[in-house]
Amino acid sequence: MPDGANPGLALLVGIGVLIALGLIFWPSRGLVSWWATSWSATQRILVEDSLKFLFDCEYKNLFCSLNTIAGHLNISIDKATRLLDRLVSMGLIALDNDTFHLTDAGQSYALRIIRVHRVWEKYLAEETGVEQEQWHGEADQIEHQMSVEEADRLATQIGNPVFDPHGDPIPSPVGEIPAHTGQSLSSLKEGDIATIVHIEDEPPTIYAQLMALGLYPGMQIYVLDITNGKISFAANGEECVLTSLFASSITVEMLPKEVTVKEKSDLLSSLALGERAEVKGISANCRGRQRRRLMDLGIVPGTMVTAELKSALGDPVAYKILGANIAIRKTQADFIFIKRLAVEP
Amino acid sequence: MNVKNKEDSILSLANKLRWEVGVDFHDLVIESIYRDASRIARKTVVLKGGKSTYNFDRKLDRILTSPWLGFPIMFLLLAVVFWVTVAGANYPSQLLSALLLNTVHPLLKNFAEGIGVPWWLSGGLVDGAYLSMAWVVSVMLPPMAIFFPLFTLLEDLGYLPRVAFNMDSLFRKAGAHGKQALTLSMGFGCNAAGVIAARIIDSPRERLIAIITNNFSLCNGRWPTQILIATLFIGGAVPAYWAGIVSAGAVVGVAVLGIIFSLAVSWVLSKSILRGEPSAFSLELPPYRPPRILQTLYTSLIDRTIFVLWRAVIFAAPAGVIIWLVANIHVGHSSLAGYFIQWTNPLGLLFGLNGVILLAYIIAIPANEIVIPTILMLTVVTAGLTGVGEGAGVIFQLDTIGDTKKILEAGGWTLMTGINLMLFSLLHNPCSTTIYTIYKETNSLKWTLVSTFLPLAIAFTVCFFVAQLWRLIVL
Amino acid sequence: MSDQSKCESCGVHNRKGNLIKLGIALDKIDYVVALAGNPNTGKSTVFNNLTGLRQHTGNWPGKTVTRAVGGLSFGDKQYKLVDLPGTYSLLSTSTEEEIARDFILFGRPDVTVIVVDATRLERNLNLVLQILEITNHAVLCLNLMDEAKRNHIEIDVRSLSKSLGIPVIPTAARQKTGMYDLISAIEEVATGKYIGAPHRVRSMSSKLNHAIEMLSQKLAEEFPGLPNVNWIALRLLEGDQRIIEAVQTRELESFGKALAIHE
Repeated sequence: MPDGANPGLALLVGIGVLIALGLIFWPSRGLVSWWATSWSATQRILVEDSLKFLFDCEYKNLFCSLNTIAGHLNISIDKATRLLDRLVSMGLIALDNDTFHLTDAGQSYALRIIRVHRVWEKYLAEETGVEQEQWHGEADQIEHQMSVEEADRLATQIGNPVFDPHGDPIPSPVGEIPAHTGQSLSSLKEGDIATIVHIEDEPPTIYAQLMALGLYPGMQIYVLDITNGKISFAANGEECVLTSLFASSITVEMLPKEVTVKEKSDLLSSLALGERAEVKGISANCRGRQRRRLMDLGIVPGTMVTAELKSALGDPVAYKILGANIAIRKTQADFIFIKRLAVEP
Repeated sequence: MNVKNKEDSILSLANKLRWEVGVDFHDLVIESIYRDASRIARKTVVLKGGKSTYNFDRKLDRILTSPWLGFPIMFLLLAVVFWVTVAGANYPSQLLSALLLNTVHPLLKNFAEGIGVPWWLSGGLVDGAYLSMAWVVSVMLPPMAIFFPLFTLLEDLGYLPRVAFNMDSLFRKAGAHGKQALTLSMGFGCNAAGVIAARIIDSPRERLIAIITNNFSLCNGRWPTQILIATLFIGGAVPAYWAGIVSAGAVVGVAVLGIIFSLAVSWVLSKSILRGEPSAFSLELPPYRPPRILQTLYTSLIDRTIFVLWRAVIFAAPAGVIIWLVANIHVGHSSLAGYFIQWTNPLGLLFGLNGVILLAYIIAIPANEIVIPTILMLTVVTAGLTGVGEGAGVIFQLDTIGDTKKILEAGGWTLMTGINLMLFSLLHNPCSTTIYTIYKETNSLKWTLVSTFLPLAIAFTVCFFVAQLWRLIVL
Repeated sequence: MSDQSKCESCGVHNRKGNLIKLGIALDKIDYVVALAGNPNTGKSTVFNNLTGLRQHTGNWPGKTVTRAVGGLSFGDKQYKLVDLPGTYSLLSTSTEEEIARDFILFGRPDVTVIVVDATRLERNLNLVLQILEITNHAVLCLNLMDEAKRNHIEIDVRSLSKSLGIPVIPTAARQKTGMYDLISAIEEVATGKYIGAPHRVRSMSSKLNHAIEMLSQKLAEEFPGLPNVNWIALRLLEGDQRIIEAVQTRELESFGKALAIHE
């Protein structure tokens, strides 16, 4: 053997090096990402998070106590008391008669953080392939790291958004924000028609379940029944039942009664070869580039589609849309609502 | 009121109105446009009955995308394209090589000596720059001039989008786009052309994946290396009557391994560093159109063949000069090449290669075509063989492959070296033409570096483990 | 260019002789013509026919990625032809669409030729209507008429021209037919002989229309003569940064003026 190295030893070393590299660089679990996320909850982050929470309470006219703050930030009551003292001494909140409210300085500080947070969420939703469940968590970190100028620059790049993907208004660069409108879904009565304007993304477990139901801002709902604290309503023709805890995570805006309730629609993916259908809309959960591309190709309410051709492996399927054969994957077709038409004889 | 205020007041009014109008009015705007379009179209377009070509298109589509016939037809067509390319390129390649290497090169050399050009200048220019350019042209031009027009014909016909349509399911599972099947096939002709072809993928993430993994398509500059080494070492390791089929199988196996690596790396990329890149699938199946043969020939020759060849030639010339220089500049007792090979030999052996191969791959980065001739030249020079080759710094090939094997064995090559060279040649970094093309196409240093060093890291890792396992098990 | 003197009234009745393809050799430019259209409509073939250049074409959407420029001479005027990347829309935000949009809006070509696929008119009208929101100076090139004929599709060209408010020229660029009519129509629009009154889309949402009206009114006060004030208002509502800057820098001001001269 000319090289003299022991192959067994070399193999061990080689495998060791691979494992070490894996440990360091493994996405979201490796040392590098661990190190990046764990520059632990410093005092500044606590301050900013509490301001954000206080602003949210005031914005929605909710009562906010020491206990709820401590609960929201996941810290002890003791620590929360010290935190509020600190905020008072920084001139960000004011105390009178045992209730506290944000000062002007505190409010504009909070709005800056909220702006960064929501701009980043919008950015993730529209311009990246990051999964929906991860937006909030990533924005929660970014909001403490990104400067207002950086957020402004990002906002101009993505078309100066005014709403985040959850339907919340994004404060303007100078701190304007429209008054809170809408009411909780749990406050509706039987027979009410409303549009979902916002789905609260905290706590994440509740948010994930609401997402799994396919609810989204802009969706029209029709309240069918309210019994035993459970509300049942029709959304896109499907019946949903929510407990009042879940329903309170959803903000809605009432619509006048004469609005016709949207009928039940099928999904494009359910169209069999040769069948014709009219497009009813694209789910709001299909966003950004993907959504724009589908609309460019003619997937717009009112357009006729015919399932034309299956690929050799069954997915994608080509649909005849406005005279062209467009291949659409099943994952995309699941976002497209249609109304089946009778097959012509 | 001053003027500045007016503009700002327009913008702030716009902002206020935006809150009021709400989230999804963009969709409404597009809906209105389509509604008008549909109204106008209904008023002006008359569809008359009668046999339209759509029926023909539909029938053809049913066959070409059927679960039973779709893939056999595709493999058959691609096999025909490759066979015609390989078979058709053989003769013109020999002709070009006889002309440029065996006739023009000595003429130039004699001419340079005749007019008294100093040896170092004629060496650098004629033996270095000219020879490697000529080499690249004679190996690269004929297959490309056949492959690209054939491919372009299939494209003009409208068949290629159907291939993407059929293959999409497979590529989707690897996080990629069906059209990558085409850039991958194009890569078998030339990786630089494959990278340019990735323009047809309009989704940023999938396009980057196609560009970064195109290197794993065994380009035609690397086929001769694979075939030579497979014949010498793998074919030579089995009984003579098996040699042909085994070595051919080995080459095809390497190409298939490349496709597997391409898909696997696509999957890893889409799950890791490209996770955050935006993605949107769209694929239109255009109507079949009769191809215009002459136009196709013209544009594919100009746009693809000549374009890529020109880039390759430009990169090959300085490489030729460097190859000549490292073999001819002496410091003390040894040439630069000698020193380098001496230093890197232990490292090369660790990866189942050797110092000569490492140096050859570094200085022959502009074109894979000249790797083997460079290896031969360097082996002859460093092993101190006499009676073969054309002198230090002059790349060459031999008429019989038996002689080639003798030289390589004198350089310490074994079956394992051969296998590892084949793997390294498949996986290592793209050639400089391709790297430059990747930079032009992505306009990003970051992705160019990833496309360059990721394959190299994979190549070294694979070679290392193959070599060590081989030594543990076989020896 | 011997026939320059004969060209008193260059127009439809002239013989084919005076279309001279200039390739990329342009010594002076009288008019700038932009070539827009959906991918795979034969846009590049039209471009090649008019300029004598050889842009790569292929039966595959999205071949032209870079912007190609060529020239031609017709009558006594020289035209610079700019081949824009093929796009489905101008409202999304991909790079190609931005290039096309910015050129039609800020490059202010004298004529924008919109190449459409006659076999898929409805699909293509989406882009046509979007371009007509931006510019008054457009010509519709109804391409692939040969394919439409083969598929028994008939198009009422006069009614289409009336609905859209711009000249409509049927062509079959692969067979090189209709090119002369096309360049004649380009000339008429460029010289102002034909004054278009393009179709404008109105949104279905009254809330949106109200917002557009309020904003348009303010814009019209500040920048009189804007030919596409509603469209600008809509872009502002969409938060289009390029348009916001054009308001801030008063770049819009020149739009009204320069176009007024043409009319």
